[in-house]
Amino acid sequence: MRHEAGIVEGRARRGLPGHEENRVPVLDVRNLKVSYTSSGPQILKGIDFSVDDSDFCAVIGPSGAGKSTLIRCVNRLVEPTEGDIVLFGQNVRALRGGELRHLRRRIGMIFQEFNLVNRMSVMDNVLSGRLGYTGAFRSFFKAFPREDIDRALHLLERVGLQDHVDKRADALSGGQRQRVGIARALMQKPEILLLDEPTSALDPKISRDVMGLIRELADEFKVPVLCNIHDVQLALETCNRIIGMQDGYKKFDGPSKGMRKQDLDEIYAMEVL
Amino acid sequence: MTVVTAETVAAPRKSWSRYRHPEATIRFAVMLAVLAFLGWSIAFLNIDLSRVLGAFPRLAEILATRYFPPDLGYVTDADFIRSVIRTLEMSLLGGFLGVVCSIPLAWLAARNITIGRRIAYPFGRFAIMGSRSIHETIWTILFVTVLGFGMLAGTLALTVFCIGFAGKLFADELEAIDMGPVEAMRSVGASPLQVFQYAVLPQVRVAFTGIAIYTWDVAFRAATVVGFFGGGGMGWYLKRTTQQLESQRVAAILLVIIALVLLAEIGSGWLRRKIAAMR
Repeated sequence: MRHEAGIVEGRARRGLPGHEENRVPVLDVRNLKVSYTSSGPQILKGIDFSVDDSDFCAVIGPSGAGKSTLIRCVNRLVEPTEGDIVLFGQNVRALRGGELRHLRRRIGMIFQEFNLVNRMSVMDNVLSGRLGYTGAFRSFFKAFPREDIDRALHLLERVGLQDHVDKRADALSGGQRQRVGIARALMQKPEILLLDEPTSALDPKISRDVMGLIRELADEFKVPVLCNIHDVQLALETCNRIIGMQDGYKKFDGPSKGMRKQDLDEIYAMEVL
Repeated sequence: MTVVTAETVAAPRKSWSRYRHPEATIRFAVMLAVLAFLGWSIAFLNIDLSRVLGAFPRLAEILATRYFPPDLGYVTDADFIRSVIRTLEMSLLGGFLGVVCSIPLAWLAARNITIGRRIAYPFGRFAIMGSRSIHETIWTILFVTVLGFGMLAGTLALTVFCIGFAGKLFADELEAIDMGPVEAMRSVGASPLQVFQYAVLPQVRVAFTGIAIYTWDVAFRAATVVGFFGGGGMGWYLKRTTQQLESQRVAAILLVIIALVLLAEIGSGWLRRKIAAMR
């Protein structure tokens, strides 16, 4: 793996043995705490987990459990207040400015509301995934390198949008827009994918198609996935590992196969049905 | 499952009134105070209603006897027409420079996407507010004293005026954008300039074009006055004729200004509607 050397280095820096076990976690989160304001409520109250390079890991839990906050901490769209996040062997919280941008371009992210630029073409939206690797001069004139354009075309074909390349993003349907979002994230050649409720804005049938597509592409490009998802059934179908959250605490962590009904009941215990 | 217990059920409400004691009373008192202040200022300034009403017949009389008929020969003179064209040039140049300068300032002054909340944001806000708070005629006088009479002073005064005018509108527009794409561009590792170009500009391009045209419209109106204080253009003719008490010529110039401003407004309104349809 590309990040392996970084992890060994990072573990050495933190005083840990480089190859203690066969699997080194891509992402290692320790005692993560977040509150948005210094006097406000604590959203995450000490979360520990790690993601391996073969994981397709789902974070489930009732609304307000802190799933979205957890995912957004990994690429620092949300600033953690306490704890450690070690990604590819780098301490995410210590990075600033250009270092953070360099880390972010190795992380693909797919959003609930797609977050495409509506007044830009599908092609430009996909190409914008490469911005982190594109110099100021090239990006100013939208002169992306030939191989980026080829990759964008290939990915658009892969997600089934080869006939919509020049359409404006807001001319597409919800499912198609999310496919653009997937292509944009894969343009980065990400080493981890973060999915923030990727299917909540879609209908059940399309949700399954989109999740299936993400699963397929993640396997193909060998990218670990950390996914926060509302639909428990869908999570159990697509993911191999489940993290259950409730009110800022981790309540469950294990393979999706071994999950029992009472585990789910415990996670969702506080939700008023 | 939550169990519904006796405590969780509130007693049903029997009465409801739109007017609740502290809020409604305070609102009423404030309104009363404002009215009392208005009445007091009218009394203090000793405004005589009969004098106010008497002004209109007198105005009509002066217009009819001294300003009529307007000296149209004066405004069709080649020199005057050249000054009108200069006024137009000044407004275009001032508007263009103002819009160009105000876009980066508006970027700094938009709270949601500013580069830094501690230094950049107050700087952008202050620059725009400073340009706005001083009237364009004062800017003209300032630039004329520094640079001397002529179109340079007028153009710079209009530029500063447009920075204040367009900058405020641009910043408001920027603060209303959808932050989703901004978040997405930040998360792919784009630099602040790339985020601005790829996530912010596409959202505001149409609105910015409309605002730029509107800014030119307002700048043109201001440009007719700028000359009055030595900034160049047709305002100078207005000053000369008023000081020479050539009332019929003044009337002709005022008519030209009204016609041109009307034309500019109709033209810019038409263009802005066209652009708004492109959204």
